[in-house]
Amino acid sequence: MSYDTVVVGAGLAGLTAALRLSERGQRVLVVARGVGATHLAPATVDVLGYLGDTQVASPAASVPVLISSSPNHPYAHVPAEQLETSLEWFCTKTAALGYAGNLDENLLLPTALGVPKPSALAPRSMSGGDLRAGGRFVFVGLKGFKDFHPTLIADNLNHARLPNPIEARALELVPPSSRRGDLSGRVIAGGFDTEDLIDWLAGALEDRVDPDERIGVPAVLGLRSGDATWQELEKRLQRKVFEVATLPPSVPGIRLSDVLSSALRTAGARIVLGVRAVGARAKGGRIEAVEVVNATGTVSYPVSSVVLASGGFASGGLELDSFGATRETVFGLPLIGLPNTDRVRFAPHYFDAQPLATAGVATDDQLRPVDASGSPVYENLHAAGAILGGATPWKEKSGTGTSVATGYAAAEAILTPAPTPVSEAVR
Amino acid sequence: MNVLRSLPWTPLASASLEHCSDAALRGFSTILVERRDLADGTTGRFHGLLHSGGRYAVKDPSAARECIAENRILRVTAADCVEDTGGLFVSTPWDDPEYGDQFLEGCRATGVPAEEIPVAEALRREPRVNPGIRRAFLVPDAALDPWKLVWGCARSAEEHGARILPYHRVLDLEVDGERVVGAHVRSERGGEEFRIHATVVINAAGAWAGQIAELAHCTVNVRAGMGLMIAMNHRLVHMCVNRCKRPADGDILLPLRTACVIGTTDVFVPDPDQTEIRQDDIDLLLDEGEKLVPGFRQARALHAWAGVRPLFEDTAKVAETRDVTRSHALLDHSSREGVAGFLTITGGKTTTFRLMAEAAVDAACEQLGGLRPCTTAQVPLAGSESHTLYQISHRLAAREPVPQSEEIICECELITRSGLEDTIKQRDTTSLDDIRRLLRLAMGPCQGGFCIYRAAGILHQGGQVDQAGANQTLLDFLEERWKGVHPILHGDQLRQARLDDWIFQGILDVEHLPV
Repeated sequence: MSYDTVVVGAGLAGLTAALRLSERGQRVLVVARGVGATHLAPATVDVLGYLGDTQVASPAASVPVLISSSPNHPYAHVPAEQLETSLEWFCTKTAALGYAGNLDENLLLPTALGVPKPSALAPRSMSGGDLRAGGRFVFVGLKGFKDFHPTLIADNLNHARLPNPIEARALELVPPSSRRGDLSGRVIAGGFDTEDLIDWLAGALEDRVDPDERIGVPAVLGLRSGDATWQELEKRLQRKVFEVATLPPSVPGIRLSDVLSSALRTAGARIVLGVRAVGARAKGGRIEAVEVVNATGTVSYPVSSVVLASGGFASGGLELDSFGATRETVFGLPLIGLPNTDRVRFAPHYFDAQPLATAGVATDDQLRPVDASGSPVYENLHAAGAILGGATPWKEKSGTGTSVATGYAAAEAILTPAPTPVSEAVR
Repeated sequence: MNVLRSLPWTPLASASLEHCSDAALRGFSTILVERRDLADGTTGRFHGLLHSGGRYAVKDPSAARECIAENRILRVTAADCVEDTGGLFVSTPWDDPEYGDQFLEGCRATGVPAEEIPVAEALRREPRVNPGIRRAFLVPDAALDPWKLVWGCARSAEEHGARILPYHRVLDLEVDGERVVGAHVRSERGGEEFRIHATVVINAAGAWAGQIAELAHCTVNVRAGMGLMIAMNHRLVHMCVNRCKRPADGDILLPLRTACVIGTTDVFVPDPDQTEIRQDDIDLLLDEGEKLVPGFRQARALHAWAGVRPLFEDTAKVAETRDVTRSHALLDHSSREGVAGFLTITGGKTTTFRLMAEAAVDAACEQLGGLRPCTTAQVPLAGSESHTLYQISHRLAAREPVPQSEEIICECELITRSGLEDTIKQRDTTSLDDIRRLLRLAMGPCQGGFCIYRAAGILHQGGQVDQAGANQTLLDFLEERWKGVHPILHGDQLRQARLDDWIFQGILDVEHLPV
């Protein structure tokens, strides 16, 4: 079996690149060690939330500022119009989740600690939590669900700096006996998929919430049925309802991963999880085959192009050993953002700028990893997502935006190669 | 006793619960002052080895004799703090196998039970230990949980009427003529200052004993010996594994609760409050670990911390010779400097803490008008009344019959919601770090990535803190945790730390909390 492109990694960047390539007629294989960090993250698309200490109101206006101050930032290698194109494309592919928002104005969505956090897009089951207009909110906890603390959320929001006044309060409900004990978000979500938990929830809320209050619930309204449950709940209660993302595993993240994976399979791609890409067979500066270790041994997949979307340190795409050496774990690519010492020492205060925070691969404008001289390491290898250096996405609130934009841009670079041939790099 | 009534407290300035516990058990009205939290000092930072005495059998026979005697006592009186792991001394390829003969002879001479076993048997018991070992010896070492020990002493002392004041700093000792008559202290939390009157003050401030002694114009030369330890994610060994050689750095690896700990180093530091962890010392421990357990550098290191040993150096005469060995020293300042009512107990090691307390309180008895017998070798500590030795499976055994009865707030350490809520109430604290030392909250592989958000929410919901307080203790905890995490961050633990960054900053956005 031969493929046009092998994508390494099944997170948001890998799935985006693979889906874009597949729908344009490429035969695509996705190989990954596991389901990807999408399962851990809220399903919002965070393009840019902070520039330094300043909250970003408009990603469209602030991304160019970011690029001019951080020329190595992944967004610097995404063609200007593609950031918007990629988000529009993403919204059509995830229509089942109904993403709301745009690049011109960030939403301000409450976190599970009650901090208003900027996101460009959010599934419609979450976007109703936008705090910018102010108003009255009630946050609903479920007894036995340890990953959501509505009192703290409400108290913090009442002390938050927001453009318009808000009034938030907390409410705790006791779930039916089948959903008591030590509950995870996934277990409760399963209850919305298979039982009539919605009757219980709608009934429990009906008389306890004022008509002008918006209702914030933990993001557990069902895995398969999440969007439908949310719609039904709004209809029955005749009030705005929204989910609030909390600790991993993330129910909306799993929904997003499922929607993209299933679109990808429909488009004819193959996804193989539980395997590890370990290197390349290369000739004349091109990767001819990707080496993948599975349960029986090493398989060599011949390819025309490769997308590396293996993630950063959190996903195992980067590794630091006990002697202080950092490496890219699949192809051993050159890295930027490493400290200038032979031994990594982290900064002594947690919130200080940390060494290795911006570590990753550097690329050219076709998102091809480059060496120190700026030449592509392989002319047919592209990189996307958290493996890219030059950003601190958890501080900037730019992780998912980077994954969508660079995953899409990597696919476009493969589909429409730049007109000028690159100089032959022999490795 | 009249004197005691009119001057109601026998304050033990700083840090040593065991002395407080002993004094309380003997019926003295006793108060203990500790500048930070209990178990935040040297005892709470020791590696966790309840010595059999094997380590000292060759070099320091009297210390070895003390260790085996105390080891036997603590297995009974502090059973809930002791896990009977057993100990193994091994001759690695870097150690002279002939030292084993000296070791056996030393153990025989000091009464430390030691038995040589075939290498194959040792490797069967400890499959991860270096297969190149040439000799192996069993000894009755055990794992001693320092935090449980401290809380056990504290509860016992309080049950016998003692008062314990954590987060109280001794600003000055009051000297009336040639006698110490009390202490001037300040609450580090509330800020209020007050005086405590006492007949006897026992200075048990460990590496800080010199600083306390100065307040009474006395001199105690204690040098601070910093020791570094690293906790690894798994119990790589089942027994306390020691190198069979003269004691040196990084030659002990022992299982402690859900982790295992390698230690230690010994570096003089001019100020016991300045314990910077150096990369060279981390590398030394990792390299020594690699000799004991090949692959150690690829294993997951959770946390590094330093404790400060009090190393007593004094040419002046020590007060009492009966119980005093090279390992600890009891100083009566009336014979040294002519200051009565003031004793210093310093040096020593955690294994012999009870013996040190006995010696100090015996000396206090003399000043208080006659000996009252010490009972700490017989009376169990609070929590150890059933004499049941601790087992690693205790928390799991409690959960297994009722797995879904309530929430588990910290999965790594199996801490339940009610357990957490009860502790918050009993301790009456607003600090997640205080709770950590009581329950081991956030001590497992994720280092609080999941449980700290939950615990902050529960602390706030229970009304112990307002939102600003909850946010502050959450941020303080992240900062405090980072101190122990960053020096050993590599491999899978860096992966975990980055996931924690995503949770706290990417998902919860803690940097923008209203504080």
